Amino acid sequence: MLHKIKSGFIIQILSIVLVFAASMSAQQIQVNKVAGDVKYLSGTSEVWAKVKKGEALRTDGYISTGKNSSVHLNHSGELITIGELSAVSISSIKKMTTDELLLALAMEDMINAPKSNGKENSGNTAVYGEDESKNKITKLGANDFGIKRLNGAMQLAENGLSESSVVFAKETYRKYPETKKVASYRIFFADILYDKGLYAEALGEYLEIQKLELSKEQKNKVDSSINTLNKILLND
Amino acid sequence: MIPSYKILPQSSSDLNGYFGLQDFISIPFYNYESNPDNFFNTKDWGISLQYGAEFSGSFNSSIYLLGISKRIGNHSLSARYTPGFQKEFLFSTGESIVVNDTTTQSLEANYTYKELFGLGYSYKMNEQLSAGLSLRFFEQDFNQQIVKPVFGDTLYLVTENLSEDLNFWKADIGIDYFLNDQLQFRLASINLLNFGDDPTTEEFQGFEIKQERGAFIAAGFFPYNYLNFNFIYETTSSFQFSTTGNANKFVYGVTAFHDQYQEPYIAGLVPSFGYRTNLFEVLLSGVYYFSDRTNDAGFSQFYEEGIDNIINNRYSYNKIVLSLALNISSTPEKKVELIDVQIVREIYPTFYDMYLDKPFAYGKIVNISSEQVKVTPSVRIEGITEGNINSPQVLVEPGDTSTVPFYLIISESLNMERATLSNADFYVNVTSNQPDDEMQKPALVNSENAWDGNVVNLRYFISKDMNFSMNYAKNILSENKNILDSLLAELDEFEKAKLLFNEFVKKMTYVSDPRASVEYVQFPNQTFELKGGDCDDLSVAYCSLLESVGIQTALVDYKNDLQLRHVNVMFNTKLSPEQAALITNNDSKYFIRKNEQDIDEVWVPIETTSLTNFGEAWNLGVEKFNREALNELGLASGKVEIVDVY
Repeated sequence: MLHKIKSGFIIQILSIVLVFAASMSAQQIQVNKVAGDVKYLSGTSEVWAKVKKGEALRTDGYISTGKNSSVHLNHSGELITIGELSAVSISSIKKMTTDELLLALAMEDMINAPKSNGKENSGNTAVYGEDESKNKITKLGANDFGIKRLNGAMQLAENGLSESSVVFAKETYRKYPETKKVASYRIFFADILYDKGLYAEALGEYLEIQKLELSKEQKNKVDSSINTLNKILLND
Repeated sequence: MIPSYKILPQSSSDLNGYFGLQDFISIPFYNYESNPDNFFNTKDWGISLQYGAEFSGSFNSSIYLLGISKRIGNHSLSARYTPGFQKEFLFSTGESIVVNDTTTQSLEANYTYKELFGLGYSYKMNEQLSAGLSLRFFEQDFNQQIVKPVFGDTLYLVTENLSEDLNFWKADIGIDYFLNDQLQFRLASINLLNFGDDPTTEEFQGFEIKQERGAFIAAGFFPYNYLNFNFIYETTSSFQFSTTGNANKFVYGVTAFHDQYQEPYIAGLVPSFGYRTNLFEVLLSGVYYFSDRTNDAGFSQFYEEGIDNIINNRYSYNKIVLSLALNISSTPEKKVELIDVQIVREIYPTFYDMYLDKPFAYGKIVNISSEQVKVTPSVRIEGITEGNINSPQVLVEPGDTSTVPFYLIISESLNMERATLSNADFYVNVTSNQPDDEMQKPALVNSENAWDGNVVNLRYFISKDMNFSMNYAKNILSENKNILDSLLAELDEFEKAKLLFNEFVKKMTYVSDPRASVEYVQFPNQTFELKGGDCDDLSVAYCSLLESVGIQTALVDYKNDLQLRHVNVMFNTKLSPEQAALITNNDSKYFIRKNEQDIDEVWVPIETTSLTNFGEAWNLGVEKFNREALNELGLASGKVEIVDVY
């Protein structure tokens, strides 16, 4: 029985991956309109280049907008608008199913698991309890690339690519850990998980957010979401 | 005045040499000379025969010994009949008579010393202590011709035989102590108790065997099965030492002895060589004396010096002895049986410690005794293991069948240039060192460059010859010390990895696997020697260079079934995500991993087959990793796996 379940699960994963990979290779991104300072980082290049109207973008590149700037992209017939002070990877401009999102979240968890060395590490032996500096918000400027990425992730959601937006945000948190402390973004993406019916994942996020420095309004919202989700999950 | 001769019935020398207290050989244990406490390891019945020949100018052969032994629980009994243990001395008395006025007849004296039989008993108190005794029966036949006058019409002389048979028993005790498997001791008496006839005829007084009390102490050191050392020292100042061993069922040894009553200082050697199985044992031994034994001895020398031992004295000749022993089990002494063994893993010599965690075979055993037993499984593979490798003990209830694992330890220094089919000997032991049962199975032992295709196991190739990689890497780094010193300390790992890669690629060419399969991997030194390799070889060599200077690495295993399987490398720059901008403006060119302390660190993927420069290899590594591991969710589906080297 267990074997059957495992086999079924593996087949499901492989099917998702195959469809996902096929959809990736079919993507074409074209620049329809450029306003202001819009730059493009191609593949593994170290140099940002100005984006021109009509340009075709590689799927492994980045696009970044400056203040009061925007870019309109044509993604296989669908128009995507990226507003000011945002950055997105072209590969994240894609439609994903909820199953694909779940798989991507599982991968994030896997990546974020500490490397095991077979030893018990006690961490900081001098201080017990949570390291408070972890939750202290560092002042991140609007031009900080991590914040621009989170803005870009929000733009993806606003363009109907909410699943991709969560994955892109998660990757941003990994590469720019300071951005994890900005509660407003965290709440935004946790809400997407909630809306998609991924209650356990959403609850996990809210519980993490609860540990951050929150405004009264944010705190009320997070507490309320946690209560609701607990009830939903209890009744499941 | 009657001279007092030193004729000792026992010293520790025997005809097979001295094998210590080892239980791998049973023949010497019928020799009460070095084993007066009757220690032996026959499981049930044992029978022994010694047939020998003496080179005394002519070739005189005879049965020296017939022995029988029996073990009952911790009690061991033995008996031996020794028809060949005798020495006869025939002398002219110096007197003669004239017969028929023309013929002269010399008068003769004859002294014969015999050991006829012996009995032994011992008790095993525990695995470390055993004690026992032996009782031996000796016979002495003395004959002498004398002239006796007969008075009648005419006085004439007649010869008459004087004779006397003197029998006596002697008893000795001894104790054996096994400190551990490598160090063992024995303490035993010489002529502790003697009782028997005293000579009544004046002419024979002083010729009887003298029973001087003494003792000997023996020690054995057994560092390896194939090489052991034994030493016996007697309180009479005689001693002997031997080197013995066993390998592949062959037993061998050579004993040198010093006898205070013989010349030269090392009086002789006793070499021996034999073959044994659980059922029988054959041992060919010899006694070779360094002094000349071909001259006849005169009565005056015998009168002056005497002899010290019946089978080993100054008048003994070189001998050759063939010994046979048979172990007969009339009752099922063994407690467990090995029903079957299944080898579940091929042997890859380079994975030297893998079989410590993962058994390479499983055996099915059954407890045929009526008691709970602790079974020790062990295995020996010719050319692979150093002796038997014991696995953890398994408790088996009476009548129960159980599966036991067989683990292996492979010598790190093993060199196997090509795959061989070897024999694996599997044993199960309960109480003694003698296996209760054994089974032999053929086992494929791959060459040292063989690999099972599991990327996790490439770490064995990375760690092999780490000294070579360390020297190579350190040379490069010291040549570039100025560059490294001028850089930010935070960039130490990154710059070292970059320097090493750029030097590494100068000498390398990508070549596909010479054996056209993934199962052959070169060690780093071989890759440098051959100036190239495939993705496995190059990744192993580069990882080895980085690891040798303390840079953490991981192998990235791309298992995409649509293409050939591929491996490349990822290394830890030790930079924090915030410091990543020190090495790139493009955040897609690195990957964040948490370390053991839950701290994020920047890792960089490198395509080792890109033998151009570090920058190009990094870009190619990034493109492949981002595409297959991240964008196509390879890490989630298991099609891409990151395997940490340590």
